[in-house]
Amino acid sequence: MIELEQLTKDYGKIKAIEGLSFRIETNEIFGLLGPNGAGKSTTIKILTTLVKPTAGRALLDGIDVVGQPLEIKKRIAVVPQENNLDREMSAFDNLRLYGLLHHIPGLESKIEEQLRSVGLWERRNDNILTFSGGMQRRLLIARAVLGRPKVLFLDEPTIGLDPQVRREIWNMIRRIKAQGGTILLTTHYIEEAEALSDRVGILSQGKLIALDTPANLKKMVGEYVVEYSDRDGSRVYRMCASREDAQCHLQEAETEVTMRKSNLEDVFVKLTGGRIEQ
Amino acid sequence: MNWYPIFLREMIQFKKKLFRLGYIFTSMMVPLLYLLAFGLGLGRSVEIPGGTYLGFLLPGLVAMSSMNNSYNWVASGLNLSRVYFKTFQVLIQAPIAPTSIMAGYVLAGMVRGLFASLMIILVGLVSGAGFHLSWLFLFTLLLNCFLFANMGVLIGMLTKTHEDTSTYANFFILPMVFFSGTFFPIDRMPKLLQYLILCLPLTHTNILIRKPVLDREGISAILVMAGYALLFFILGSQKIKNYSE
Repeated sequence: MIELEQLTKDYGKIKAIEGLSFRIETNEIFGLLGPNGAGKSTTIKILTTLVKPTAGRALLDGIDVVGQPLEIKKRIAVVPQENNLDREMSAFDNLRLYGLLHHIPGLESKIEEQLRSVGLWERRNDNILTFSGGMQRRLLIARAVLGRPKVLFLDEPTIGLDPQVRREIWNMIRRIKAQGGTILLTTHYIEEAEALSDRVGILSQGKLIALDTPANLKKMVGEYVVEYSDRDGSRVYRMCASREDAQCHLQEAETEVTMRKSNLEDVFVKLTGGRIEQ
Repeated sequence: MNWYPIFLREMIQFKKKLFRLGYIFTSMMVPLLYLLAFGLGLGRSVEIPGGTYLGFLLPGLVAMSSMNNSYNWVASGLNLSRVYFKTFQVLIQAPIAPTSIMAGYVLAGMVRGLFASLMIILVGLVSGAGFHLSWLFLFTLLLNCFLFANMGVLIGMLTKTHEDTSTYANFFILPMVFFSGTFFPIDRMPKLLQYLILCLPLTHTNILIRKPVLDREGISAILVMAGYALLFFILGSQKIKNYSE
């Protein structure tokens, strides 16, 4: 479905992404996880024709993203990190203009269907400026799925939203997958990547440092973590392959100790020494 | 018709701005102030062979106003949409050709330019200054709006910040306002400067818009204006096609 081959983007001396190669299968939710500046948005921007790569290539359905951008644009939709709705227009007009740009047939009924599904039908004639951040995010997703795209790109879809709205949006994303959609999602929220992704690619400083299912990635570093502070106050993390192994490490700690299941943050810490969520 | 959604979007925004006092003031009152200051004040002491100064000034103000509004609306709006609101990215990611995006913005800029010219035309018609609408006048007005809306797209795509839009306006638009024959005939300028002035597109608008009938000079003015418009259209479309953040 989507194939990246040694994809690279430089901004002068800065390498935003370097030699990215991976595949995303049909009807998969693929999560790109990494801290701010890891290259997640640049990757999405290349795949959605906003940024031209310096080297390498990206294919969608076998079509080259740089060589045939119009063909790519017929197949994709994007929920960007920044809200790019027309602020001084109504929700209905925003969707109508998007539908006209994308030549979506049966537009009026599809707009109604999408606005009802995100709970904004009653507010359809209201100016976007009167919408909360969560409502605007829901509208962005409704706009993106209006034409039933083959691939949906979500760039940090829940950034800055409260936990309740975040979970509403997760359910919307799961419904899109259930309807057959393929999704590439970027996030720096560990919980989000684990909750939604079939597979996760972890990015650090523009490079792909791990790629697998969340369960396998966690197995790779150990399913349990023993966490405590050492004498000088530094936090110590012991990755353990099993519960029994973890229990052995409990004895090492001289301060308060926690044993828990590992998460993707632990994978990132193990591989890079840094943290994803700041 | 791929340009239509872009045109429609701009028109929806235009309709909302239309009823704001600030908008009406900047687009219509400024040329009217020029008209009062130059036409009624300075104009008494300026002699124009074969007519009145007001009769000379009015078509120039129509050309100037249509240029300013066609250019500013597009250049400023496109820059804001691209750099700050990111709404331009929605157009780039839509399956439409760069020339359609260009055409949508240009047509919207033309509407704004024509609207801003309307009040000066009305003043001209009731002023008794020998001002009359002809097909050539309307054609020149349309071509001028088309030319500067195209220039607006190009500048809107080139500018990196909103402040840059004003810089471009100060370097290209403002000199044209004062030296291209809006307020006085260009033959009153030193000979060397006249050659430079003839390179400015608005000069040719001012030549053409004052012609009662189309003659050889008028045809060459049309060719120069169309040439500039075509150049800006091609360059603007290329900038949209090669867009990369």
